[in-house]
Amino acid sequence: MRIKSLAISVIALVALAVPASAGAVTLIGSGSVAAQPVLEALFKTYTKEVNHKVHFLYTANGGNAGVKDVQNGTSQFAGQARTPLPSDAGTTYIKMFLDGLCIDVNPKNKLSNISIQQTHDIYRGLLTNWNQLPGSGLETTIDPVGRDTNGGTYNFFLQAVLNNELPSSNVNALTADGLVVNAVKQDPSAIGYDGLAWQGKGQKALKVNGVPCVSSKISVEPLKYPLSRYLFLVLPTGVNNPALTKFIDWARRDPVAGEVIAKAGGVPAFNKKAKK
Amino acid sequence: MEEEYLPEYGPKWSDQRAERMLGALVCAVVGLLLAMIITVFARAWPSFAHNGLAWFGAGGSVEEQLNQIYLSGLSGANYVYTFHGWQLIWSTMLITGGAVTIALFCSLFVSVFIVEFAPEWMRNILQPVVRFLASVPSVIYGLLGVLVIVPFIGNHLVTEPQKASVAGVISLSGYSLLAAVLILTVMIAPLMVSIFSDGLRAVRPGWLEGSLALGVNRWRTTWKIAVRTARPAIVAGTVLAVARAIGEAVMLAMVSGSVAFAPNPADGLIFIYEPSRPLAPTIVKNIDSLGSPPANATLFAIAAVLLFSAAFFSLAGWVARRAMRKYGATA
Repeated sequence: MRIKSLAISVIALVALAVPASAGAVTLIGSGSVAAQPVLEALFKTYTKEVNHKVHFLYTANGGNAGVKDVQNGTSQFAGQARTPLPSDAGTTYIKMFLDGLCIDVNPKNKLSNISIQQTHDIYRGLLTNWNQLPGSGLETTIDPVGRDTNGGTYNFFLQAVLNNELPSSNVNALTADGLVVNAVKQDPSAIGYDGLAWQGKGQKALKVNGVPCVSSKISVEPLKYPLSRYLFLVLPTGVNNPALTKFIDWARRDPVAGEVIAKAGGVPAFNKKAKK
Repeated sequence: MEEEYLPEYGPKWSDQRAERMLGALVCAVVGLLLAMIITVFARAWPSFAHNGLAWFGAGGSVEEQLNQIYLSGLSGANYVYTFHGWQLIWSTMLITGGAVTIALFCSLFVSVFIVEFAPEWMRNILQPVVRFLASVPSVIYGLLGVLVIVPFIGNHLVTEPQKASVAGVISLSGYSLLAAVLILTVMIAPLMVSIFSDGLRAVRPGWLEGSLALGVNRWRTTWKIAVRTARPAIVAGTVLAVARAIGEAVMLAMVSGSVAFAPNPADGLIFIYEPSRPLAPTIVKNIDSLGSPPANATLFAIAAVLLFSAAFFSLAGWVARRAMRKYGATA
């Protein structure tokens, strides 16, 4: 009897965890932390305004971990912020929208423009004082802040800025983009990098090679802003999932989705312009 | 017929059933524990086998070694295992040692006060507060550290000449030994206080009354009789605190500075502002490289070292408590 009632309660729990409405589909995804704010906004709008029966469950465990989840079948899709690598066998990458990696400093810093070379030198420990960068108005030692090896932001920065050299030992590697934002906000001598979705009060985005880190400069092909990238959804190759395909089509083409992406800090790449 | 039936079916049978079920449960737990230990050490073996005792030594940058190990696993052949973990081990020793030393002194006096000197109403408030503090999740302390203590150290304690003196090598931005030790002390002290107080309360009242009756004052009685008698409890509390401090990962990953660097006491005062990264946070920070087989082995080797030191400390604590049993009170 006890075992039976235990079994019933377990089943009841599982039933509670899955949305109760008949014919509902839950799409399970994981991956990029950088893509999370935009993806979550898209999921919410899609469930609310397009198809009530499709629900999403997204765990931001880092892009590389997300791709692994897709490979072993734990996830039906993954968010990813870097281009495909040979180790991603068995997966298909779909360009969803664009993102810019902004270089941020504290608002007390008067610097407005930085070159890729200067950024490289700071993160390699070659430039260590703000007085080596004309226009900063500071005489203090630079506190470079970065991400740890988990996640696409680090990999993108490594490829785009550091030429795949490791950051120097004076770079403080934090576990999340939000912690980077926090560190830059609280330290006048700090410099950090994070996605367009994280731009806001408390930190100042620098122009990179003279191009400001704003969505209007990032969306136009060829990509003018030096640190812009596509964010991808990664799917298992050859698996047909109609609910997911419909969502991807909507997110890539629909003008409403385009507005959602822009509002959440990304840059729509393929969406039609909304009629005004 | 009835005489045979009763004793067989009834209390005796259900008694045996309970006994066997509980026995099976215990065997399962022990088996699971053994399986876990064997798995960790088996997975860690390639890393230890390739490095030998040099695994624990110094040499080169841990960050670069981990990167080489990770990259060699992606290519699929010619795995690299070279790893010298001294920077991580030294950081673990400094942070754990510092926090446990400070917490030991503070907790001892706090628990003596709570048990022997505090008025009744204060004791009634302090005891639940200490119990509550001992169960606060570590990530909350980590948040407090990142939002309050780290910026305070970085912006108010560290001076510009100090930062400039190590520029390009490490950043003195507040993520430091000092922040890690301070927060870890706050984390483990309540655990120690609650165990110490239990030990002090278990001292036989007759011994204390005897001492007082001989005219020895209250402080001396407490120090010479109560604290001495409670030594096994003090050892037990310290061992538990050391185990918790060694295994702490999330909070330290947030505040210790996350750079594989061995803080050098010869640097003078800035030593306490230097960043470092202990063993446990290293696993958290490199979790993404688990897919690469040699990196997997290296992270499991770190886990094995942590597991071994936890086992070592609990064994040492058991031996010490046994040796002290003659003093009376046990905990």
